[in-house]
Amino acid sequence: MQRGSVVRVVSIAMLVLSWAVPVWAGVPTEKVKETADKIIAIVSDPSLKEPAKEAQRRERIRRTVDEMCDWEEMSRRSLGRHWAQRSEQEKKEFVHLFGQLLERTYVDKVEGYSGEKVNYVGERIDGDYAEVDVKVVTKKNTEIPVMYKLRTRDQKWWVYDMVIEGVSLVNNYRTQFSDILAKSSYEGLVKKLREKVTE
Amino acid sequence: MKRTGLVFLIVILSLVSLLGTSSGQGTATYAPENLFGAHRVELASIQVAYLKEASPEKEEVEPADSSGETVPDPLEPLNRAFFEFNDRLYFWVLKPVATGYKTVVPEEVRVCTRNFFHNLAFPVRFVNNLFQGKFFGAFEETCGFLVNSVVGLGGLADIATAVDLKRHEEDLGQTLAVYGSGPAFYIHWPFFGPSTLRDTIGMVGDGFLDPVSYLGTYWYAPGARAFNVVNETSLRIGDYESLKKAALDPYVALRDAYYQNRLSKIKE
Repeated sequence: MQRGSVVRVVSIAMLVLSWAVPVWAGVPTEKVKETADKIIAIVSDPSLKEPAKEAQRRERIRRTVDEMCDWEEMSRRSLGRHWAQRSEQEKKEFVHLFGQLLERTYVDKVEGYSGEKVNYVGERIDGDYAEVDVKVVTKKNTEIPVMYKLRTRDQKWWVYDMVIEGVSLVNNYRTQFSDILAKSSYEGLVKKLREKVTE
Repeated sequence: MKRTGLVFLIVILSLVSLLGTSSGQGTATYAPENLFGAHRVELASIQVAYLKEASPEKEEVEPADSSGETVPDPLEPLNRAFFEFNDRLYFWVLKPVATGYKTVVPEEVRVCTRNFFHNLAFPVRFVNNLFQGKFFGAFEETCGFLVNSVVGLGGLADIATAVDLKRHEEDLGQTLAVYGSGPAFYIHWPFFGPSTLRDTIGMVGDGFLDPVSYLGTYWYAPGARAFNVVNETSLRIGDYESLKKAALDPYVALRDAYYQNRLSKIKE
C-alpha cells in the first residue's frame, strides 16, 4: 500500500520531469563532438588524401560544418544593430556570403589537421543557450582553448560563435564590419565581402 | 653613465624582441588557465552590456555577446603604416628565415627551444602571479620551473605539463590591469606588433625580470631574442596567413584579436 503510493509519486515526478526537460535538448557537447569526429574522420581518411580528391574532401567537410553552424545567427550577431536595418533580401545575401567566408575559413583550418587531440573539458547550459569548452592539444606542446557557443533552434543545438583563445569569431567580425560600415557603407561592406569570398 | 646607456639599450632591444614574438602571428598562443572563472566574469559583463543595448523590438532574453568593447585607436593612421611595414617584414624577412630554419632544424628541437625560453622567463610569471595575489599560481609556476629545470634538462623538456602542472602566464600588463589600469590606447609597433600603452609599459618592466636581458653585453640578449622569434615563427607559419585570409580588414582583425585575447587573459 505504502510502497505502491511511493512508486506512483516517483513515476508522476518522473513524468513531470520528462516534460520539464525537453527531450530534444540533447547534449550540446555531443553536437560539437559529433561534428568534430566526423571532420577528423574526413581529414584522416586516406582515400580522400590525394590532391585530386581535394574538392570532394572540402565539400564533405563543408557539409558537415553546415550541420553544426547557424550562419544566420552568426551574421545577425556580427552585423549587430545594422542587421535590423537590412531588408529580407539583403539579409539573405549577407548570410550567404558571410556563411561562405566562415565555411572557407573553417575548412582551411581543419584541412591542416595533423593528429591534434580534442578534449572536451566543460559544458554549461542555460535554457536555450549553451557553451562547450574544448582544448585542442597540438603535437607542438601547446593547448588551444576553444569555446563553442550554442543555442537551440528547431529543437536542435546550433553553434553561433567560436571563441578561440579568448577571441570570439563573431566579435572579431563585428569589429571589422562596424569599422567598414563607419568608414564606407553597407554596399561597400558587401562588395568587400564578395571580393573576399571569390579571392 | 655608460652603464645606464647600456641598460637602456638592453631594455629597448628586449622590448623590441619581446613584442616581436607577437608580430606576424594571428593570436598569441599561451596555455590557458581557469576558463571557468574567467567566464563567469564575462557572462556578468555580457548581461549588463546586453541590458544596456537591448533594443525594444527584441525582447528575447539571451546572453548576448560581450558588449562590442573595442580598444581606442587614436593613432590609427600611424598604426596602419606600421602594420603594413610588419606585414612586409614578415613576408620578406621573417617568414623566409623561419622557413629555412624549419627545413634544417627538426620540430622536436624547435619545441625544446621554445620550452627552454619559456622556462627561462619563469621570474616574469612568478613575480606577476605574486603581484596579483595569485599565490597558488606562483607556487605552481615554481614547481613547474624546478621540475623542468632539473628533470627537464634545464627546461628543454616540458615535464611540468606532462605531470599536469598548470601554466600561469601572468605578465606586468595584466598585473597593471588587475590594479585598475585600462589599456589606454592601441599601439601597433614596428617590429613588435600589437600592443597597448599599458602592455608596452608592462613589457618594458618584464624585461628586467627576464634572464635573457642579462645575457652578457651588446648583441647577446637581442640575438637570443631574435633567435627565439625565428624559432617561434617556425612553429607557427601559416597562422598569420590564415588570419589575413579570413579577414576583411586584417589590421582591424589583428587589433581586435589582440585586444580580446588580452581581455580574456586579464580575466583569468
